[in-house]
Amino acid sequence: MATAAKTPPGADPKQLERTGTVREIGAQAVWSLSSCKPGFGVDQLRDDNLETYWQSDGSQPHLFRVLTRKTTVKMLCIYADYKSDESYTPSKISVRVGNNFHNLLELRQLEMVEPSGWIHIPLLDLVNNPIRTFMIQIAVLANHQNGRDTHMRQIKVYTPVEESSIGKFPRCTTVDFMMYRTIR
Amino acid sequence: MTVLQEPVQAAVWHALNHYAYRDAVFLAERLYAEVHSEEALFLLATCYYRSGKAYKAYHLLKGHSCTTPQCKYLLAKCCVELSKLAEGEQILTGGVLNKQKSQDDIVTEFGDSSCFTLALLGQIYCKTDRLAKGAECYQRSLSENPFLWSPFESLCQIGERPDPEQIFKLTSLQSFNAGSGGGAPTFPISPAHTPSHNMPHRQVDSVLMETPQDTLELNRLNLESSNSKYSSINTDSSMSYIDSSVISPDSAPLGTGGSLLSKQVQNKPKSGRCLLGGTATLSPLTPSFGILPLEPSPGDPSYLQNYSHSGTGMEPPPPPGPPKKTVSRISQVGTKSVFAQSGNSREVIPNPFNQTQTTAPQTSTTPQVLSPTIAAPPNVQPRRSSRLFTSASSTAKENSKKLKMKFPTKIPNRKTKTKTGKGGITPSSLNESIEILKLDSSMAEGKGNISSPQFQAFTLQKAAADGLMSLMRDIGRGYLALCSYNCREAINILSQLPAHHYNTGWVLGQIGRAHFELAEYMQAERIFSEVRRIESYRVEGMEIYSTTLWHLQKDVALSALSKDLTDMDKNSPEPWCVAGNCFSLQREHDIAIKFFTRAIQVDPSFAYAYTLLGHELVLTEELEKALGCFRNAIRLNKRHYNAWYGLGMIYYKQEKFNLAEIHFKKALSINPQSSVLLCHIGVVQHALKKSDHALETLNRAISIDPKNPLCKFHRASILFANEKYKAALQELEELKQIVPKESLVYFLIGKVYKKLGQTHLALMNFSWAMDLDPKGANNQIKEAIDKRYLPDDEEPVTPDDYPYYSTELEESQESSMTDADDTQLHTTESDEVL
Repeated sequence: MATAAKTPPGADPKQLERTGTVREIGAQAVWSLSSCKPGFGVDQLRDDNLETYWQSDGSQPHLFRVLTRKTTVKMLCIYADYKSDESYTPSKISVRVGNNFHNLLELRQLEMVEPSGWIHIPLLDLVNNPIRTFMIQIAVLANHQNGRDTHMRQIKVYTPVEESSIGKFPRCTTVDFMMYRTIR
Repeated sequence: MTVLQEPVQAAVWHALNHYAYRDAVFLAERLYAEVHSEEALFLLATCYYRSGKAYKAYHLLKGHSCTTPQCKYLLAKCCVELSKLAEGEQILTGGVLNKQKSQDDIVTEFGDSSCFTLALLGQIYCKTDRLAKGAECYQRSLSENPFLWSPFESLCQIGERPDPEQIFKLTSLQSFNAGSGGGAPTFPISPAHTPSHNMPHRQVDSVLMETPQDTLELNRLNLESSNSKYSSINTDSSMSYIDSSVISPDSAPLGTGGSLLSKQVQNKPKSGRCLLGGTATLSPLTPSFGILPLEPSPGDPSYLQNYSHSGTGMEPPPPPGPPKKTVSRISQVGTKSVFAQSGNSREVIPNPFNQTQTTAPQTSTTPQVLSPTIAAPPNVQPRRSSRLFTSASSTAKENSKKLKMKFPTKIPNRKTKTKTGKGGITPSSLNESIEILKLDSSMAEGKGNISSPQFQAFTLQKAAADGLMSLMRDIGRGYLALCSYNCREAINILSQLPAHHYNTGWVLGQIGRAHFELAEYMQAERIFSEVRRIESYRVEGMEIYSTTLWHLQKDVALSALSKDLTDMDKNSPEPWCVAGNCFSLQREHDIAIKFFTRAIQVDPSFAYAYTLLGHELVLTEELEKALGCFRNAIRLNKRHYNAWYGLGMIYYKQEKFNLAEIHFKKALSINPQSSVLLCHIGVVQHALKKSDHALETLNRAISIDPKNPLCKFHRASILFANEKYKAALQELEELKQIVPKESLVYFLIGKVYKKLGQTHLALMNFSWAMDLDPKGANNQIKEAIDKRYLPDDEEPVTPDDYPYYSTELEESQESSMTDADDTQLHTTESDEVL
């Protein structure tokens, strides 16, 4: 019974990937969860399958962390579906970034109302650049209907792609330029 | 013993010649169980190898001592195929611990197969990084047998510059010494066999006489030398003889053309050989060529004259009859067979062939008995003489001319096929020459005069082989130019080939590659699609085609190509490379990486797969792994300039500009006419603050390839960075004409104008740039515009500043409100962006 407008689903991240402007870097990172039910862990979170999910099994807030070398992160995409998860669907999410566990700073807090698809969370700093960070922590602070545990179906982390192969120019648009850009 | 063996051996060869490997293997196994001789061992190993089970042949030969050269050669070949290079080398040269044999030793030991042995040894040396020794072996192999293409190809690829003029010529080499030269060394090796051969031959001959022969078999048989040479390489000659009816073109390649020819001549009379105990390399293809030798009948009388009829009581073939036929036939065959890429000529020949057979056995035995040297020339003579005498000398000459001309035509077909087959097949061209010669000889009406026909026959043979040699010289020059990256010259040379050779998969593939190396991707694409049309089964060179399509961003064509090729052949690395390129174009880099890894699995010595994998890893930012891949590619092929370029790119990304420059220059030293490389070097030099050098390099790049717009663009940007705004603007205006739709051009022009203070023009250009590229550069352009309105931030815009531009919309939107002039622009921008 959401009086606020429902959160509209965002575009499928796959299409974003095809534009070549972003690249998924989850595979290069180390993922960890605060808690999980056996059989519903990190693999299910990262398996590109919207049917499987992570189910937490502890007390709130539920956390999951992404640890990499220092990477530029532009956007985070979360798949959440109220219709299938009901009370397990997260409603308030906080994104924190930093160097390690001890100096995480909250970047964004996001409220979702009955989400039904992909939620895009842009991660930008004060001057609206993509952030460069070692670790990202996503905290699920509250669920719909005050559920205790949460389901998270899929998460993707995106970094911007610098298209320019040589020289620090933005991308070329014509094939004529792109042909000569590189030797393959 | 031999008597027991002969029919079985004949049966085995018969099965082998008909690709009935299971039968052949079964019979060979029984034979070997019965008779544990080295012949039988070799036969069994050959059966295993030909049926594709090199490991079986390897284990078999390894478990038993092999002392004959043919066994050793086969064992070494199996070792190389199974990547046991050290062992292979040891077998061939005696290894590191024992006294190493020199090349001369090898030549004497292996005799006729020494050219192949040396080529194999060269391959081993090259794979184990001893390029100098490998090059020596290849050179020696080529001097032994100029008909071999693969040693020449390998020499070009490792960076040597062999001279096609020197290599592809028929010197005193074997050629027309009735192959005796080649056969002689080997012959003594199995002298014991020869006497025994005679008997079986006669018996077999008689037996075989009755059986209807396939022209194929006959041909093959003819080609096959009943020579010792042949026997040394293949199974015993006895086996081949037994098969008299079968002539395999395969045998032709053995040794040099000349020897083959002579052998052919010998074989013809034999006509007994059904199965070609032939060379492992040859397959009984192009029977059409093989058919030529049919005209022995005219020759028969001469044979009979020369040799005592020791054969079974085959009645002498009716000389008058056959000669007539042969004459007509010859002309027929001459026209047909020469050009008959398809087996037309085959049909023509059958009849005469039978007759040949009759005579053959008789004559065949004699050669057998005698040393090949002796046998060959006389054999040759009668043939030719008969032919020459039947027709007027003029016609003979015409024929020879025709043959000569036609000969090259035929050869290329073989050549293309052989090229795909990667060596070993070139001998098939010999078949052609042999056939032609046979044709000639068969023409001879037994007119008796032996001395001049002999000479004329010799001349005809020489003419045919010369035709082939001149073709190979041309192709060799073209290929050498391509390997040294003189692409223009390569294209010129290869385009001058006759049309029927030009329109073959191999030649067009090389030309396509030349265009690719010149970055002329449109032409390359056209040519490669022609290759696909002509030879849809060709996979070599398709990886270059796929990269061309990748550059041109033709994803539909690329995915179609990928599907076709992977359906057709999953065991070659090229289709997997194509699939990888396809997914890379779709920006699915992980999947592309999987495909490239698969290509490497399928063939670990395919350097390009490593390079492509390296590029993908760079795109997924796994630079360490990418470095490893590029280094692997270089390990496999030092002249793989793409890999050197890849290393340079990685160092550039890591901002190690010095290292980047060194690697780019190394790539340039291999491929000096690549304007893209020069462009990159220019940019790196600019990054190293050597702007003058950078400009020089870019000037050079533009002079080499005026069509490369990026060189001009980078030159303009360097001029801009050096504050030479006018020059930069001029450059950019020219560029605008060449590539009117490129947003980067307008972007840079806008920056220049901004620097010059002409804000209206700057804005105009920025807006154009944004129109042309809604995504991507949008934000940078917006930033550029925004900076206008932040006077404090007005700092010199150098290329280094570009990464600073953020991808933020809000700021531009806000700033748009401040300036009425730009509101229009900004609102349109934001619409586009959203």
